[in-house]
Amino acid sequence: MDFLIDVKLAIYRTFAETTHAPTVADVAQQLGAHVDDVQQAFHDLHKKRLLVPEPGDPTRIRMAPPFSNVPTSFNVTVGGKRYHAPCVWDSIGIPAALHTDGMVRTRDGQSKESMTLVIRDGAPKPTPCVAHFAVPAGHWWDDIIYT
Amino acid sequence: MLLFRSEETVEAWCAERNLPVRPMITLDQLWALAQEWYSNRLTEESRRPGPDEMASIFARIGLADPFWDPNAP
Repeated sequence: MDFLIDVKLAIYRTFAETTHAPTVADVAQQLGAHVDDVQQAFHDLHKKRLLVPEPGDPTRIRMAPPFSNVPTSFNVTVGGKRYHAPCVWDSIGIPAALHTDGMVRTRDGQSKESMTLVIRDGAPKPTPCVAHFAVPAGHWWDDIIYT
Repeated sequence: MLLFRSEETVEAWCAERNLPVRPMITLDQLWALAQEWYSNRLTEESRRPGPDEMASIFARIGLADPFWDPNAP
């Protein structure tokens, strides 16, 4: 298998299993690979928009959408595990990626009122809500952490 | 990308920040986006959709406003 695919799967499967991102050293150990090669793969996956490195530390991952490696206001429970998601789209993207039921706990962006989204049997439970994207699609990756 | 209880709270959020109100999307549209983007994310062949694929996905789920054009400057 292609080395870049090996690294991508190692990252995503670690996220799914542990709720946290592996570091370059973690993936190198897991794959029996050299850290420099894994670091280059992290760089290439960032170019493919499959991960975002931690600002100032390219050996660590801030997010590999739909997963976030830092706490956010989108808390996702799936199968007894608690994940964080970078945004509302990604929050329901976690049960979509894991192909299972899930629950998102967040707050209204303005009023801060608690809100819950439930994904059950492959669909969201009807809930009064709307999602709003402040940044146009052509500029999402200009600053993806803000987006 | 935030979640709101209603269009009114979106409008208040935008007004407080002097930002334009953008097209809002429903929970069903959001779920369709989540499935399109992430349902194969843990597989060998997974990748992020390219700009033309994104445009097709948005059109298919009813997001036709120029706001959703990934090629727009």
